[in-house]
Amino acid sequence: MIRTILVQTKRELGAILFSPIAYVLLTCFALLHGFSFTLCVEAMQQGVKNVTIMFIFFNWFFFWFALILFVPILTMRLFSEEFKSGTVEPLLTAPVSEWDVVIAKFTAAFLFYVLLWVPSALFYTIYQFLTGHVTPVQWGPLFLGYAMVLLIGAFYISIGLFASSLTRNQVVAAVLAFAGIALLFFCSFLGFFTVNPQLEELVNYISSLNHMRLFANGTFDSRPVILYLSGAVLFLFLTERALAGRRLKN
Amino acid sequence: MIDVKNLVKKYAGQTAVQGISFAVNRGEVVGFLGPNGAGKSTTMRILTGFLPATSGEVSVAGLDLLENSREVRRKVGYMPENVPLYMDMRVREYVEYRAALKGIRGRGLRNRVSDALARCGITDVSRKMIGALSRGYRQRVGLADAIVHEPELLILDEPTAGLDPNQIRAVRDLIKELGKDRTILLSTHILPEVEMVCSRAIIINRGRIEASDTLENLSKRVRSGSLFLELKVAGAEAKAALEALPDVGQVDIRGEADGWVQLECLAKPGKDVRRTVDELIKDKRWPLGEFRYAKPTLEDVFVELTQE
Ligand SMILES: Nc1ncnc2c1ncn2[C@@H]1O[C@H](COP(=O)(O)OP(=O)(O)O)[C@@H](O)[C@H]1O
Ligand SMILES: [Mg+2]
Repeated sequence: MIRTILVQTKRELGAILFSPIAYVLLTCFALLHGFSFTLCVEAMQQGVKNVTIMFIFFNWFFFWFALILFVPILTMRLFSEEFKSGTVEPLLTAPVSEWDVVIAKFTAAFLFYVLLWVPSALFYTIYQFLTGHVTPVQWGPLFLGYAMVLLIGAFYISIGLFASSLTRNQVVAAVLAFAGIALLFFCSFLGFFTVNPQLEELVNYISSLNHMRLFANGTFDSRPVILYLSGAVLFLFLTERALAGRRLKN
Repeated sequence: MIDVKNLVKKYAGQTAVQGISFAVNRGEVVGFLGPNGAGKSTTMRILTGFLPATSGEVSVAGLDLLENSREVRRKVGYMPENVPLYMDMRVREYVEYRAALKGIRGRGLRNRVSDALARCGITDVSRKMIGALSRGYRQRVGLADAIVHEPELLILDEPTAGLDPNQIRAVRDLIKELGKDRTILLSTHILPEVEMVCSRAIIINRGRIEASDTLENLSKRVRSGSLFLELKVAGAEAKAALEALPDVGQVDIRGEADGWVQLECLAKPGKDVRRTVDELIKDKRWPLGEFRYAKPTLEDVFVELTQE
């Protein structure tokens, strides 16, 4: 039910924005990206050729570091806190379905995630402005790069949400989410260790590093889109089951 | 309003509710009474659709709970044990959010929220953070949430637990007031509470219903009141004479000093022995120090039914 989901999403956004963690995350993210961006600019000055600044930015170590570390912190409290404080009881005895709640929590976390990326877009705008548009904006790579950021984010957030639905302990939820996301991410590096072409193909198919490189270069591929969207849907589905199952188990 | 048949709830290691059946009629205020761990909260969580039953039939407001869980939840106002609330919201904001979540829309929402806040006496604190409120006020926020969608049935789990005597009185008065125009099932282990606000009590112990009746009938059920006597006569003699009377159950000697004896005389269930005892004393010409009748309390019933 759309109305119910909207009402609950508003509540979840409020809860995220009320917590100090939100501002720590926003600040750290902005600082990290600012720092990363400066390094990118330096790299450009030292004569890295044939790439855009956004390409470097999206493939920089800091980009992944921030993603893998911050998503679990963002998602850890979504369900765990409600289990611990008991507020899940009034929540689920209101006329709502588990799906309403799962979608609302996901949407709120995702919106906050989008907010986390706003400063990076500002840096770019400022950069363009300061350099007097020496390099024309390449809309394709820019747009696709951010699209990939959102796709990967949606997938990782759904993993974090699922982890949070499994436990009333926020730390456990964060560690679980971190383990899951890191594991998936490090599959990207398996390519270095194998000469088996079939395995390499598989690694290429699931490697987030590859996807990002591809999209930030302005090349669109529908396979990663499907991979991340179906991954997100799968984990949202698992979350809904975990929530329903928690009631059965209790 | 509530109809429960053979309800069973098993947790991983134990059976918390062992096949209970009871009904609550429209307009009643029923006390759900039992010691800690009796299965009150478990039963209420099932009634409100939070937990599924292991087996048994539950219908609430004429609807089968399994088939119409969402519709049932729309018609029930529930205040869980310990009143979990979002501490990071303001009182009015929280009740408005809850009303919206329960499907109240548009212009009606503000009015209903104002009304609920006023009824629960929290209009003054409506701008405060819930986390900054005292326990008594939080309890009332929980009540405001429970009544904001004007449900036909209120289910309140230990609404006065953890409050100080003044707060208890305030919440109790509020429940009494609310009970005038709706059905209420409230759980408690505080007996005077039931006597003050409920018309009927269901006594539950270790997952089984021990009794379910009006307070008056419950009181009569186990035994009649106690008669406290002080007589100037030998204890053994008085005891023998009293016990010989018809309808007298048990006679206990409470104390003996200076030739006076204190006795507690219990009648058989449903009997009143004041008159026959009075006649006996006059007959025997025993000097009388005290003659006091104590009505059986719900506490007596409770202790008798739920003791090991
Ligand atoms: N989530 C749970 N898991 C396992 N056992 C539980 C759970 N909740 C309650 N119990 C057990 O079920 C019994 C009844 O509990 P409860 O319904 O909370 O009693 P009351 O509300 O009357 O104090 C208790 O023995 C309690 O330990
Ligand atoms: Mg309880």
